[in-house]
Amino acid sequence: MGRYITRRVLQGFLTLFLVMFLLHLLTTLAIQLNGNPAQAFFGDRTPSPSQLAAVETRYGLDDPCYDQLGNPCIGPFVERLGDYAQGDFGESLRGRPVTDIVSTAAPNTLRLFVVVTITWLAIGMTLGGIAARRRGKASDHGIRGLSILIDALPIFVLLLVYKYIFSVPLSRWAKDTFGSDSLPALLFKPSFSPQHAWATLIVPGILLGLAGSAAFIRLVRAAQLETYNADHVRTARSKGLSERHVSRHHVVRNSAIPVVTAVGIVFTEALAGAVITEGMMNIYGMGGVLWKAVQDSDVSVVIGVVTLLAAVTVVVMLVVDVVYAALDPRIRYE
Amino acid sequence: MSDPSVSALIAEETQSGVPSRSLWSEAFRTLRRRPDVILATIVAVFFLLVALFPFLFTSKDPQRCDIAESRLPPQWFGGEHPFGTNAYGCDVLAQLVHGTRPSLLLAFIVVGVSVLIGVTLGTVSGYYLGIVDAVVSRIVEVFLVIPLLLAALLLLSLFRNIDLGDGPVSTIAQPAIVLTMFAWMGYTRYVRASVLETKNLDYVTAARVLGASDLRIMVRHVLPNAIGTVTALVPTAIAAVIGTEAVLAFLGIGVRPPAVSWGIMIEEGSQWFTGGSEYLLLFPLGCLMATVLAFVVIGDNLRDALDPKLK
Repeated sequence: MGRYITRRVLQGFLTLFLVMFLLHLLTTLAIQLNGNPAQAFFGDRTPSPSQLAAVETRYGLDDPCYDQLGNPCIGPFVERLGDYAQGDFGESLRGRPVTDIVSTAAPNTLRLFVVVTITWLAIGMTLGGIAARRRGKASDHGIRGLSILIDALPIFVLLLVYKYIFSVPLSRWAKDTFGSDSLPALLFKPSFSPQHAWATLIVPGILLGLAGSAAFIRLVRAAQLETYNADHVRTARSKGLSERHVSRHHVVRNSAIPVVTAVGIVFTEALAGAVITEGMMNIYGMGGVLWKAVQDSDVSVVIGVVTLLAAVTVVVMLVVDVVYAALDPRIRYE
Repeated sequence: MSDPSVSALIAEETQSGVPSRSLWSEAFRTLRRRPDVILATIVAVFFLLVALFPFLFTSKDPQRCDIAESRLPPQWFGGEHPFGTNAYGCDVLAQLVHGTRPSLLLAFIVVGVSVLIGVTLGTVSGYYLGIVDAVVSRIVEVFLVIPLLLAALLLLSLFRNIDLGDGPVSTIAQPAIVLTMFAWMGYTRYVRASVLETKNLDYVTAARVLGASDLRIMVRHVLPNAIGTVTALVPTAIAAVIGTEAVLAFLGIGVRPPAVSWGIMIEEGSQWFTGGSEYLLLFPLGCLMATVLAFVVIGDNLRDALDPKLK
């Protein structure tokens, strides 16, 4: 097990390095094809060549390789890796360090993810479990129809409908009934407020969690069904254990493995969903920052934030793999 | 190796492909009896027809708009504009009909190419393991770490100023390339896992002992076990790409105006939603949801029908 973890950690570092290199190659190609992002610093104004040169030097875009199509720009990449090692993830076009931006934005994203994860587990385990236990009955079909409906509603449609149709009348009603600073009024507030971070994040978080929960419901159902058909469950039943004991100890535990790995895969999807959610609901989180940076062509912020998010994802996947191996000894092939 | 009894055995072995074929016909028979599948297939086929032959469904040009007739409410059938007109006076029905093609074409291209890449890489890496598997697994991991939408957001906005032309393929080329780049890994993982499970089974060992080549073992004996899982993923993946296209178009970086797609219509419609023209949002949203729902229903039932473990 110790050797396995060491190997996975080393692989994780390699993956992270490759991700950074891939991102570097793609952005380099984009700069080479698309023109200089330093121009974005000046907006619509036309800078003098010396001003442009000064900005290019400041953001490390002065290397001539950015003008040569097909040049992989190894030099700036090595420089950037050195900066990352010192905790310097670049600065935004307004001169604010990316690490500073991230440290104020990350707590809101973490809050969002807490709500999302709770929603997933609550909806997925409950509905998936019920559907598996009552396979073929009306509740199974109902839950299945529900999960298909959830699948057919992309997160942005959910948010769109919520924001335009439900949020405004609901928050007006809550304000009139309970007062403008009461909890219900904050819950249905159509935009984020930093003073009441938790309250204004709950509904977007639940919607984001709901959008990803269909996969969870199906997965839990399929995993539990497979276990219900397994020999050891038949044995447990035939030796007279109660149905409750069988499902809790023999089914739910054994079907937890694919569910745990799914968390890793769904995590990246939730990260993407967080960008949409934070962008549409004006939440000041990592996704919201990224979305604004993309709009403003703030390349150094985009690369910095995406690199950090990639690092987080690598860690999450690593943890998932180790948990997977700990739960199922068959996974450690070699 | 050329012993007649051996070739007879091989012949018998290849005939064991028959049950796998009967799995398909049995799956088809199960699906044919489900009313929801029939309904979903009708919806999917209808939108495919719309995408293939838009002129059967509308005679209007979606690009010819009369600003004097802006935001006419739906006049239903018999009127000049059955579904009304949008803010620029364009016919909504014509836009809906012509907007079907980019959405569906993008979905089919992205899913088709990613399945091809995924199945090939998955089989090869699962079968040979060693260095091939190490390389493929690293690549898969690298691409998995960057979420599809994040990558699309980053790349499409960085390449925003590049114009590839107005043809039906070139308007969707950019999103197609980016989405394919970040959509093939799932299939690789599934196929690799299934190959790993299968390749040490007795019948595969038997085929190897009988002298079947690697390619033959992969294609005839190992891959049929994985193909059911992959097929069941396809309709759901198509639905997902249609949804993602809408998100990208909504954010202004997918299929771009003047080309029409459902995502663009949803984006435009959402601006008028509170202004009394709800239908501008509801029509494209309805079409999008109907199509996605149809493909998801087909995919869901297909998965059940093709998974013998759940029988």
